[in-house]
Amino acid sequence: MDSENVIEMLHITKEFPGIIANDDITLQLRRGEIHALLGENGAGKSTLMSVLFGLYQPEKGVIKKNGQVVQINDPNDATALGIGMVHQHFKLIEVFTVLDNIILGAETTKAGFLQKKEARAKVEALSERYGLKVDLDAKVEDITVGMQQRVEILKMLYRDNEILIFDEPTAVLTPQEIDELMATMKEFAKEGKSILFISHKLNEIMAVSDRVTVLRKGKYIGTVDTKDTDKQSLSDMMVGRSVQLEVHKEPAQPGEAVLSLRDFCVPSRAHKRNAVDHVSFDVRAGEILCIAGIDGNGQTELVYGLTGLEKSSGGTATLCGEDISHASIRHRGKNMSHIPEDRHKHGLVLDFTLEQNLVLQRYQEKRFQTKGFINRGAVREYANQLIAQYDVRSGQGPVTAARSMSGGNQQKAIIARELDREKPLIVAVQPTRGLDVGAIEYIHSQLVAERDKGRAVLLVSLELDEVMNLSDRILVMYEGEIVGEFDPKQTDVQELGLYMAGAKRAQEKGGRPA
Amino acid sequence: MTFLIQQTLIYAVPLMIVALAGVFAERSGIINLALEGIMIFGAFIGVLFVQIMQQTGAFDGAKSDGNWLALQGLMLLTMLVTAAAGALFSLLLSFASVNLRADQTIGGTALNLLAPALVLFLIRIIANQNTLYIDGDAASWFMLRKSDLGFGRNDDLGFLGETFLHRVYPATYVCILLFVVLSIILYKTKFGLRLRSCGENPQAADSLGINVYQMRYAGTSISGALAGIGGFVYALTTANCSSNGDVAGFGFLALAVMIFGNWKPLNIAGAALLFGLFKCVAASYTSIDINGDGVYLLANIPISPHFYRMLPYLITLIVLAFTSKKSRAPKAEGIPYDKGQR
Amino acid sequence: MKEKWSHLMKKDGAKTVAASVISILIGLLVGCIIVIITGLTSGNMDGASVWDGVRLVLGGILSTGRDASGSLTFGFNPTNVGNMLFRATPLILTGLSVAVAFKTGLFNIGAPGQYLIGTAATLITALSIPTSAVPSPIVWLLAFLAGVLAGALWGAIPGLVKALLNINEVLACIMTNWIAANLVTWIFDNSVWRNLEEYGKTNYIYKTSHNGVETARAGLEALFPGSQVNWGFGIAVVIAILVYVFMTKTTMGYELMACGSNRHAARYAGVSDRRNIVLSMAIAGALSGAAAALYYLSGNTEFYWQTYQSLPATGFNGIPVALLAASNPIGVIFTGCFMSMLNIVGQQLTSLTAFNEYITDVIIATIVYLSAFSLVIKLWLSGRKKHKAQPPAVPAASAADGKTEKGGEDA
Repeated sequence: MDSENVIEMLHITKEFPGIIANDDITLQLRRGEIHALLGENGAGKSTLMSVLFGLYQPEKGVIKKNGQVVQINDPNDATALGIGMVHQHFKLIEVFTVLDNIILGAETTKAGFLQKKEARAKVEALSERYGLKVDLDAKVEDITVGMQQRVEILKMLYRDNEILIFDEPTAVLTPQEIDELMATMKEFAKEGKSILFISHKLNEIMAVSDRVTVLRKGKYIGTVDTKDTDKQSLSDMMVGRSVQLEVHKEPAQPGEAVLSLRDFCVPSRAHKRNAVDHVSFDVRAGEILCIAGIDGNGQTELVYGLTGLEKSSGGTATLCGEDISHASIRHRGKNMSHIPEDRHKHGLVLDFTLEQNLVLQRYQEKRFQTKGFINRGAVREYANQLIAQYDVRSGQGPVTAARSMSGGNQQKAIIARELDREKPLIVAVQPTRGLDVGAIEYIHSQLVAERDKGRAVLLVSLELDEVMNLSDRILVMYEGEIVGEFDPKQTDVQELGLYMAGAKRAQEKGGRPA
Repeated sequence: MTFLIQQTLIYAVPLMIVALAGVFAERSGIINLALEGIMIFGAFIGVLFVQIMQQTGAFDGAKSDGNWLALQGLMLLTMLVTAAAGALFSLLLSFASVNLRADQTIGGTALNLLAPALVLFLIRIIANQNTLYIDGDAASWFMLRKSDLGFGRNDDLGFLGETFLHRVYPATYVCILLFVVLSIILYKTKFGLRLRSCGENPQAADSLGINVYQMRYAGTSISGALAGIGGFVYALTTANCSSNGDVAGFGFLALAVMIFGNWKPLNIAGAALLFGLFKCVAASYTSIDINGDGVYLLANIPISPHFYRMLPYLITLIVLAFTSKKSRAPKAEGIPYDKGQR
Repeated sequence: MKEKWSHLMKKDGAKTVAASVISILIGLLVGCIIVIITGLTSGNMDGASVWDGVRLVLGGILSTGRDASGSLTFGFNPTNVGNMLFRATPLILTGLSVAVAFKTGLFNIGAPGQYLIGTAATLITALSIPTSAVPSPIVWLLAFLAGVLAGALWGAIPGLVKALLNINEVLACIMTNWIAANLVTWIFDNSVWRNLEEYGKTNYIYKTSHNGVETARAGLEALFPGSQVNWGFGIAVVIAILVYVFMTKTTMGYELMACGSNRHAARYAGVSDRRNIVLSMAIAGALSGAAAALYYLSGNTEFYWQTYQSLPATGFNGIPVALLAASNPIGVIFTGCFMSMLNIVGQQLTSLTAFNEYITDVIIATIVYLSAFSLVIKLWLSGRKKHKAQPPAVPAASAADGKTEKGGEDA
């Protein structure tokens, strides 16, 4: 039996200061199988794969290839052993061409000079054989995310890798592109290549894998054959308790429009076209409106234009009856709170304390300052109140440096700050990104509670599960335009996917509020 | 006109080579603010080396025989020495920024403070004055004249010959050659490709088995070597081969040239010529005879000399104002790379 | 004792102080080593003169010259201490200038230019308003304000180009430095303020005392006889305290610090980052201008106006003053004094030994170099209890976070 294992990772332990990321984990990969590695964010999946790829050295444990113990000190060793990896965040040089990216690190040279002709021929052959269409002379920054992933796959094939690691490969793809990827993966497996597929999406794992290994909080939970299990039991293994996969909420009772966009445009930083192109819709009091779409189709710019982080270039935005298209960020904040996409870039001043962060927009209010001097007592009192109310956990309470808090608690602090401002409109951008199931449930229930208080919630999300579960209405954005409007009860992921990929678009109905 | 071109080249070539020094560091991901300091150090070591060589008397014969090949050999040797000195000095920056992940701007500033202090300290001890000179006239040692090439003193070599073969420092041409060769290396070789990848996305480079630390050391060392050479050539051609712990902001001008040239060698060459022209006008506007009619036009315009001296800096600021929106710096420059934080 | 030490090391402030002290010690050590090496390799110096050099590097402030037998003597030297306080005055202010900019995420390497422009404005005002018509304290005040204002305007230039055009402030500052150097020379060339009365002073401007304007000394001359000290030092200390209160207790300071720590988050919160960049650079410029004003209004300092080839070291030395103090305005008072002490040390070295004052510049450069990785030193100090430490969510930022952006990139 043992001989059919190509790769064995036995009793791997990897520690970081203060945290054991992998605790005695064993993983065995058979030749020609697709082996899924399942776990929540922070379960240790990426660390384990980084160990296999030579990016980290484990404190304990051994790695065997074909039964022989091997030492993998850096990615070069991994490549020599035929191990390749598509990273979750693509490892591509944006200003290089596709071809340069593929050959980088495995160049053929003559007297130090690059010989690209042979490389080109080889890549073209591979691309043909597996139907991985790429434009070799385009710069990576100019091609789509889907093509970027194909470049990553070609990088592995170019190096003749036999063991392929895919780290969360579907996060950035449309459902259709996901299907294509699955087919390609099965093709590889059929040829005898072995595949490790890292994911936390149960549907995909059920669809493509032969076996599943589950990790939780750095520990090995178990390995099961996919055909002998189902989604619910995998989910229980992953989380360690039964989870509700659905959000419980009453039907929405929408009221008046709080925010109205009409022909709203936001210019792009990357190219000359508008990133948001003549978008019109309303968000009504007491509803959660969700903008769905593949990353990079103008959602970020829409939020920037709406909140004032970027100037809009046309159309109007009316918030609570007032045209805010050219208002300052602070002025817009009077009726809007904003849970930003990137909590480290926009959400927090990491070098400030928690209490300083909790009054980030409010320090100028009368209650927190007198004649330009900050009223520290009032700030402290308010911070303590929010910390208790939203259960924000930190080492030293209000004076904890934001930097030292865990990601989940940082996000909770932002949610507390934004929701407590009690504004009629809440803009929430990927509010649960990178959080564990407990935190996700909490944030979802908070957003529903705000809706039920009669607030308008504009949710931008890339996770289709979140979109389907949380929203009362869905708008799909594609290349800066609204291409369809849906009722979550009357649509499914497949239909949304077609719109997200631009394969279908509603006639005129999309983009116009009913 | 001949004078104008020669003078412009004298300023443009060090600028070009030092700007390329900046490119090699920044393309590998290290902001080299220390160019100024490295130039100062290179100039000092170069002048010191020539002086020591003169004191050994090894080249006295060549000098008196007019054996210009031997003298140019000394020149090349000195350039090698200054390159080594510059590279060594820049190790202080690479060590701090690569191994200790220090703030590169502050590290560079430290070297900019260190170089003049150390140089002046040593010059005071060596020469008991504030400037270190070589024996005799730099031109008589290192300048190429048409008589050296076997032409008569009164032969007319035509415009090109008079401009590029008479009363020139061959060191200038060595620099131009170096510039071309290094530019090709940057774009056409495996080393160049890997170096550039480290300045754009070191995480990606690392995942492909490229040693980012090594590449950044390489980039910064090449940068230091070029800045060292640039400093010496600057001292040779504009300061009569003397060193006084100052290159008048030339290293910073080179940084501006680099940004103006958008981190690309060809654009940098153009930008350097433009700046060289302004610098040349500033330095010698009284003696520039543009159309050769014996009228010193610029000197006759009633503009304060202080204005001409201010001009290169003012122009730099204005040029930066116009180009900064379009310019595109290497993405990862200035960000320390930490293997643990992938 | 050991427990107390480790408890102290838990506090970030204590670690910062310890890191600075270590930087200073290493800097002095490097200075000594260079003295020893040059002394021993140079033919005309013996072991005794090397020993003299080392002693002066370490304790030059207490030097009282040489006795009859030619050996160095040490003791309290009121002249040296008074001069140290006098020279600390502008250093504290340029240090504050750099520190305020650091706190806002900007690297103000433009202090020399702001200092020069402040010098020009102060001197022109102090020398142009006749004290026969206007009481001299009023002229003093006007000249001081002129220096502050001119510095602020000059500092605002790199701030403006950074805010509006996103030009790297380091390059902009360096260019404005050289423009200022030429401009000031231009202004004073052929001007009426040149000292034409004293022989050999052709390139100097009159002292402000020429017009009867000088900073009060009220009693200090008795305390520190033979020194230049005046109450300008007190003014600098008061300004430092005001800056501290401004940065830590007011909403404007909160905004500036928010912009400095995270420009994007500040914008998100509705703070105008552009306005704060300009404001911060203007405040920085004003402080450098104040430094120049207090230095030249003392009445016994004179300005060499041919500055086009050199920039005032006082401006650059604000950088180590600020870095050593970790940009803490109160800390700047002490590090400013330390830097001026080094200055006195350099003077003693030049006058009493064959070494020269540039060794102190080497020490300063070493200290700046070490400050660049003070974070590593701090980590090393707290290294022993690494396992208890919480894993930080993101890598810690350096002292002057975010100021390494380049010209065209909005990082």
